[in-house]
Amino acid sequence: MRAKILSPRAIPAVAALILFCAPLFGAHSQAPEWMHALVNVPLPAHDEKDNAVLLYSEENLTVLSVDKFRTTVRRAYKILRPEGRHYGTLEINFDSLNEKVTSIHAWCIPAGGKDYEVTDKDAIERSPLKGELLVTDERQKLMEIPAPDPGNIIGYEYVKDWHPFVLQDDWDFQHTVPVREAHYSLTLPAGWEFKDAWVNYPELKAHDAGGGLWQWTVGDVKGIRREEAMPPLRGVAGQMVVTLFPPGGVATNSPPTWHDLGEWEGRLTSGRIDPSVEIRQEVNALTASAPTPLAKMRALAEFMQRNIRYVAIELGIGGWQPHPAAQVYEHRYGDCKDKATLMRSMLREIGVESFYVDINVYRGSVTPETPANEFAFNHVIVAIKLPEGLTDPSLVATVKHSSLGTLLFFDPTNQEIPFGEIGGYLQANYGMLVSPAGGELVQLPQQSSAMNGVQRTGRLTLTLSGELQGDVEETRVGDRAAGSRELYTSTQKNDDKIKPVEHLLADSLAMFHITKASVINSDQTDKPFIWNYSFRADNYAKYAGNLLLVRPRVLGSKTWGLLETPEPRSYPIEFDGPVLDTDNFEITLPHGYLVDDVPPAVDADYGFASYHSKTEVTGNVLKYHRAFEVKQLSVPVSQAPQLKKFYRIIASDERNTAVLRLVAQ
Amino acid sequence: MYTHRNLRISFSLSLMILAAWAWCPKTASAVSTAAKYRPISPEELKMTSETRAPDAPAIILYRKVYRDDNGTTSHEDDYFRIKILTEEGRKHADIEIPFDKAAGNVAGIHARTIKPDGAVVDFDGKAFTKSIVKARGIKVLAKTFTLPNVQVGSIIEYYYSVDFTEYKLYESRWILSDELFTKSADFSLKPYTNSNGNDFRVRWTWQNLPSGTDIAKQGPDGIVRLHVSNIPAFVTEDLMPPENELKARIDFIYAEASAESDVNHFWSEVGKHKNGEIESFVGKPKNLEHAIAEIVSPNDPPELKLQKIYARVQKMRNTSYEVEKTEAEQKRAKEKEPANAEDAWKRGYASGFDLTLVYLALVRAAGFEAHAVMVPDRQNYFFSPALMQEDRLDEDIVLVKLNGKNIFCDPGSAFTPFGLLPWTETAVQGLQLDKKAPAWVSSLGPVSNQARTERRAKLTLSDTGDLEGALTVTYTGIEGAQMRREERNADATARKKYLEDNVKEYASAASEVNLTNQPDWKSSELPLVAEFSFKVPGYAAQAGHHVLIPAGIFGAGEKHLFDHAERVHPIYVQYPYMDSDDIDIQLPAGWKVSTLPPGWKDTGKVVSYTIAAQDDNGKLHLSRTVSINFVLLEQKYYPALRSYFQQIKTSDDQQVVVAPGPARAEN
Repeated sequence: MRAKILSPRAIPAVAALILFCAPLFGAHSQAPEWMHALVNVPLPAHDEKDNAVLLYSEENLTVLSVDKFRTTVRRAYKILRPEGRHYGTLEINFDSLNEKVTSIHAWCIPAGGKDYEVTDKDAIERSPLKGELLVTDERQKLMEIPAPDPGNIIGYEYVKDWHPFVLQDDWDFQHTVPVREAHYSLTLPAGWEFKDAWVNYPELKAHDAGGGLWQWTVGDVKGIRREEAMPPLRGVAGQMVVTLFPPGGVATNSPPTWHDLGEWEGRLTSGRIDPSVEIRQEVNALTASAPTPLAKMRALAEFMQRNIRYVAIELGIGGWQPHPAAQVYEHRYGDCKDKATLMRSMLREIGVESFYVDINVYRGSVTPETPANEFAFNHVIVAIKLPEGLTDPSLVATVKHSSLGTLLFFDPTNQEIPFGEIGGYLQANYGMLVSPAGGELVQLPQQSSAMNGVQRTGRLTLTLSGELQGDVEETRVGDRAAGSRELYTSTQKNDDKIKPVEHLLADSLAMFHITKASVINSDQTDKPFIWNYSFRADNYAKYAGNLLLVRPRVLGSKTWGLLETPEPRSYPIEFDGPVLDTDNFEITLPHGYLVDDVPPAVDADYGFASYHSKTEVTGNVLKYHRAFEVKQLSVPVSQAPQLKKFYRIIASDERNTAVLRLVAQ
Repeated sequence: MYTHRNLRISFSLSLMILAAWAWCPKTASAVSTAAKYRPISPEELKMTSETRAPDAPAIILYRKVYRDDNGTTSHEDDYFRIKILTEEGRKHADIEIPFDKAAGNVAGIHARTIKPDGAVVDFDGKAFTKSIVKARGIKVLAKTFTLPNVQVGSIIEYYYSVDFTEYKLYESRWILSDELFTKSADFSLKPYTNSNGNDFRVRWTWQNLPSGTDIAKQGPDGIVRLHVSNIPAFVTEDLMPPENELKARIDFIYAEASAESDVNHFWSEVGKHKNGEIESFVGKPKNLEHAIAEIVSPNDPPELKLQKIYARVQKMRNTSYEVEKTEAEQKRAKEKEPANAEDAWKRGYASGFDLTLVYLALVRAAGFEAHAVMVPDRQNYFFSPALMQEDRLDEDIVLVKLNGKNIFCDPGSAFTPFGLLPWTETAVQGLQLDKKAPAWVSSLGPVSNQARTERRAKLTLSDTGDLEGALTVTYTGIEGAQMRREERNADATARKKYLEDNVKEYASAASEVNLTNQPDWKSSELPLVAEFSFKVPGYAAQAGHHVLIPAGIFGAGEKHLFDHAERVHPIYVQYPYMDSDDIDIQLPAGWKVSTLPPGWKDTGKVVSYTIAAQDDNGKLHLSRTVSINFVLLEQKYYPALRSYFQQIKTSDDQQVVVAPGPARAEN
């Protein structure tokens, strides 16, 4: 057993230290009455998988002035399972330039024994852990609440003063655990007004408590249990967005509609795309030899993808406002809105107009029903107004706008998706187009499934000993290409670049040896990413008496055990994007064997997705073809049984075997 | 049918490899130059590749490390010059300087980019602190910044200082290996001296240095220096030994001038000192004689006595395995650490470390000869006595002499059955403490039979190809103890999911698994037995008038082992284990087995594998056993090992051919 950290010699010193500090730790305070009132309340509906229940939640927004808001928060959880202990770690995020946490208190009411209390002095402040963030003023107050054990009630309250950039607040009252009761209140100075909007929950009327105090209450709110491939939490959880209006009508920075929100953002970004001399020179250099407007746009897009590094920078209003294009160009790095800004600046230099599009990379977070609010988005891309008459088959991520003409969407932050296309995460997603006319919620196009997929073709030969060998070509396009390209280029060691192919083969072949492999277009994002490889698989075909068993589906798997769970599905199933994958394998069979049986053809089309496979014999060649297509990006819960069946059909087809019989020589 | 000569490496050999795994560390007995940019040579600007690292996206052209262990302002100056060779290499413009906040801070960062034409772009931005994830998911803090205008052909260089906390002399080392190939590097150390003269002396050990590297030497100025060239890029792999054991490195160890430099004498002194501490806790045998009377009967055979005492100690509250309490809870609990074994016995609780000593005290009170043995933890490093690093012997076990045999016990490691040790303490050298002179002993190497997972299933195949029935999985020995430790503080719901996920992980097809019993999570001695209802929809495949049933139902655990054809490091599996399956499948009425796959039985010493299928009048019996019998294998055996596992997968893929009707004669 591992040794103690303290040596026995150190103990007297530590003991003295503890004695000295005893008054600090020894005192205990009673939890407040609002928590004790919860000790015997009935719990909201829950089951054995709920880690905790939120017994009480209260958020009070007090508008102190147009630029100072105060939020007080109270929450109390009853911990039900050991997994619920993490609720005892209180994390309060704040932006240190514009927000201040002025007090924190937390308590635990144990099932037996005296209450615990911890206060501001027990909290530590730190930077939250964020992988991509290079620069941020976001901070976090962290506090450990004692004894967050099953059966105990923990609770806390804190006060945060903040400077609003938009006169809005959101109340997220539905969580991953059941909620017994949740309250929100709004205290407004005289003359202020508000509008509330509800998402994923029936609208409730505010109670006018008088004196500018407005109150809302919800009770027995079901917990959202996470499921794989479910929509984002924001897309399914109940929320209320409240927009505030100072006296004198709609304030200049108070956007109650997408239109107004876009106007606000337009003002915030005004002048940011103005080019510097250096940007002009760069644009000239990049486009001088490009013969057409499209070629010029491509040159700029490639520059953005390859030369401006993505790092997130969020300082104060910088979370909302991009840096000037000149700065982004000078530093050669920026976050998504910075990259969009420089892209727009450069496009303007070649006479092409473009616009910001705010979007959430988690499709489903924003829908046409979402009330206008800036909290909804986490990414910025560009909509490019294509010059009149410009058409090209490569420009597919386009929509026809009633007044702006054809708009092409482009994400300068994504280094792997070619100009003209967008990744699956953006397709059929809703974003706010920010044009001089204001903001507007638009739906981005869904590309053809044929634009994202793997076309795998294998020409193989089977020997009498059961060895399969031959060549395979895999052509990857769309997100499939982007993922492979990113993995390939980010792998440092040359020997390791083959690992994705090894993994693919190991999934389907017990024994294999790759004899050669090469990649085409590893860094040309506008072309398909192609793997060519040859392999040998010993004992691929198995002898069974005088039969030889051969699986026609040589490589790849399309099935998914997602729905093989005892619990019924609660939320829709979300796909990353439309897909069309095809496999074509031709296996030349050894002499002396005839095909006795081939697997039956499969034709499964469920509307949201389809799968077709066929095995046939031509001469001594066994041919297998299959096509797997995802056509619909979201499958409703009502169709989950069909999707489950769909994947079972695929699993069965993937295991199917052709039977060869030895014939007399 | 198969031959596996290459893999017939004797198990004793593999253990010998482990025992010798100190990478032959060598020992030797035994100025600040602020880093500034060095001149750039035309050759460095022009270079496009490095012959010794032909695929490298970037290489370190030059690295310099100067460490000053002066005690009060100890610091390290680091300097890097990196050449970007490919597009992929441009990512090295994102600099991350990891540091341990408790040990020091990074300061004085200077950086610049030199374009291929020699133009210099200074970095005038700010470095920010953020958390980064290193290999194996470990999070550390790092200073990060991005250098501007980095293109293929650019050189980036930067230097900085790490200011160590006061009097930080421990863990003074040079890690020579980097993720990039290093063309040339200079390392130097100004060792600690104090104002009253040098009470400390420094010695250093080294391992895995590139061939041809001279040993580090101490100059007349007292500074230890090393020049090294062509250090290969370090790669991480699955199932590799602890990372720092594989990197080129030099460790500096300070010791009082009066301390013994002789390795044997050093450990003799350490042993005496530790023995004094431990004996003081254990106390005299008579102190616990009353306890022995409660635990054993005088007529019990000696081994049964040991087992009863072991079981009784494991019933005591083991505070090392409890949920960590906040400071306020600890204060409220007012729980004192037991002062000695007798006190621990009275209180009924102790840390795991102390419980092991309580066991030592009790077995002595029962009249046995027993010793404390201090052992290292091989999860994080491989111990070598030659390094004379006392702090690495940080775990305790008990050696009991019984009928001339040594029995090793660690009841303080929760859920470890009597006669076994947790794997981290197996196959290691430990210091057996004694008031006269300590001695080195080797804890037993684990064998696969001591970590078993056995699956027994009675399943029925439906005429639609679904496989369904009851499955019982028994986790024995180290395997069961590991699972019990992992889930010790979880509730029934979490444990159920844990066990069900474990079954799904090994099932070769998507399956529905539902735990149906309430396993015993508290016992150490009994195996952990879990019962499930188990279903694999569409497991049997139709092929015309044949139905095919894959023989390896639970072979997924081996599916992606050793996918990659290349291997750099040795293979390290932590502990040997055995997986065995015994499955009955009732076929639908009237269905007959046409062909059974050939069985395979191989009892290799490193890995063994057996698979067999039998037909019992409409009932199919499938059995399969895989035993991993090694802990550590040299890299040269990797191709043979990989080939062996591919053959296992081939055998798992074999299919039973069934005729869904009267059996047909195949001709």
